[in-house]
Amino acid sequence: MPRTRAILVDITQCIGCRSCEQACKEIHGFPKDTEAKLSPTALTVIEEHGDKYVRRMCMHCQDPACASACLVGALKKTALGPVTYDKSKCIGCRYCLVACPFNVPRYEWAKLVPFVKKCDMCAERQIAGKPPACVEACPTGASTVGWRDEILEEAERRILNDRKYVKHIYGSEEAGGTSVFFISDVPFDRLGFGAPPTERMPELSQAALGDVPTVVLVGGALLSGIYWITQRREQVLRAEASVESASSKEGGRS
Amino acid sequence: MNRFPKITLWRVIVAIIFAAGIYATYARFALGFSQATHLTDPQPWGLWVGLGTLCGVGLSAGGFGIAAAVYLLGFERYRPVVRTAVLVSFLGYMSVIAGMMYELGLPWRIWHPIFMWNRHSMLFEVSWCVMLYSTVLTFEFSPSLVEKIPWASIRTWYLHWQHRILIGLVLIGCVLSSLHQSFLGGLYLLTKGKLDPLWYTPHLTTLFYLSAIPAGLAVTVMALYLCVRSLNMQVNAQIFGELASVIAPMLGLYGIFRAVDLSTNGAGPYLLRWREESLSFWAEIGLFVIAPLALLAFDKVRNTPQYLYWTCSLIVMGFMANRLNVSITGLQACSGVYYVPKWTEFAATLMVLTAAVMAFRFAVLYLDILPKRTAPRRWMVASTTAEA
Repeated sequence: MPRTRAILVDITQCIGCRSCEQACKEIHGFPKDTEAKLSPTALTVIEEHGDKYVRRMCMHCQDPACASACLVGALKKTALGPVTYDKSKCIGCRYCLVACPFNVPRYEWAKLVPFVKKCDMCAERQIAGKPPACVEACPTGASTVGWRDEILEEAERRILNDRKYVKHIYGSEEAGGTSVFFISDVPFDRLGFGAPPTERMPELSQAALGDVPTVVLVGGALLSGIYWITQRREQVLRAEASVESASSKEGGRS
Repeated sequence: MNRFPKITLWRVIVAIIFAAGIYATYARFALGFSQATHLTDPQPWGLWVGLGTLCGVGLSAGGFGIAAAVYLLGFERYRPVVRTAVLVSFLGYMSVIAGMMYELGLPWRIWHPIFMWNRHSMLFEVSWCVMLYSTVLTFEFSPSLVEKIPWASIRTWYLHWQHRILIGLVLIGCVLSSLHQSFLGGLYLLTKGKLDPLWYTPHLTTLFYLSAIPAGLAVTVMALYLCVRSLNMQVNAQIFGELASVIAPMLGLYGIFRAVDLSTNGAGPYLLRWREESLSFWAEIGLFVIAPLALLAFDKVRNTPQYLYWTCSLIVMGFMANRLNVSITGLQACSGVYYVPKWTEFAATLMVLTAAVMAFRFAVLYLDILPKRTAPRRWMVASTTAEA
């Protein structure tokens, strides 16, 4: 697998300055007001949990549920890692919102031509070799970006070398692995993190989808077979009936 | 005097439904989702998906069931009702497609799945099956309309060819129906960890399929009964009894499958907790499986069309409870919002449904769907005794 980009968020280093929020709004041209929750105009937000600041954003799953859900393929896992959204394909079914194990995508409910909104990890900037706007804006280094394998090693190094960290990298196994990781000194469930399944989400529906050829072939063959028997039985009945009527006619003549 | 139609209670109700529905349509397309619905990011699918799509498609399963019974399995005794069943399904799918226009954010792009493929998407498979099956249903239903064409040559030519490909159509329809009825359940396979354990199971596909058939047949029974009761049509009373004796074992099969699935799934502890999900679950099971099975055990219920009608209405309600539980109740806890549909959501759905019922009525009255009752009073009793 080619190397992909990933973001590491170290919750112990976040001071809640919201520079990431502002940078994100800046680059997307959204109004600058601070928002408490993710919204169509806030693709990353700082949530306060006690004295901790938790950044929320798209987790950019390795095998995203949203991309497998999207019937027109508007959502895609790109080669470089970000999960991107092609608004020209979207039909507005919102299955991605239903499918996302982290409840990240947002919908423009108030608009007459509504689209899905979610972080795309500044995919275009990253292709150009620049870091995502939020990471670039972070003054403390709480958010860092790099190659996924190196970022994971760095996260592991930090939680192993410092006893204050919870011994888990959030995102390393959630939903089959993501491209955004969190490390923290407070258990994740107390910071509003969900506990999604650890398998790759699309696999949940792949087994059923894999049955399509079987259903078509076996079902089709079975039904055709049954139909053949049915119509054969009818033919026989009809033949018998005509023989009977013929003989009864003969009987009548004699 | 005759210029103005007579005002009756039903006409007033229909007028109110349409007035409300037209406002809902205005709200949806001129004001947007946030004015027309109570949908939010944590609850992105509401009544329009739960009732309009999931129930709409499921309750229209009667057409493929009866068509398969008559044309493929050779159960000739259902032939008199095959047109009614196909008509119900056809109108059902048309309503689902009409409902899609409200439900999709960008309905003018509804054709996108034809050209933009994602073979890994359950919804992609569903959309293709619904598209193809609606086409199949249109062909299956078409003779009822074509018969009325005054030009004999076109009529005979069309009916000849339609008859020749009919078996193929029914066969394809069966496969397509089996696929998308189950895949509607498959949509929720991705909600593992979100959907309540009383409904989440890897066998959602099978459960959706097994429940759609008896529910579809129950709708067929209800439609037939209404044709006899209010539209002066003639239906052999035996057919009701026979449909009932097909519905009962299918409900039983579903019940057993559901019970086994729940017990092997570790959902047991959730069954008896005092919470909304568990109550909704028991309401669903009571309406869909327990009450109908108990009622259908009586000969008198199976053989009295009126009793059977009410039993079938329980089945339909139970089925709707199931689909709404999967799509709304079961996801409530994880979403953190308490979704109650806005009145405009009900109004739009109700208008589409009312339009379908009216279309059904006109089709039965003006097309040859069922034989018309010639002498009133003699109905079903007469036909049964005549055959016996």
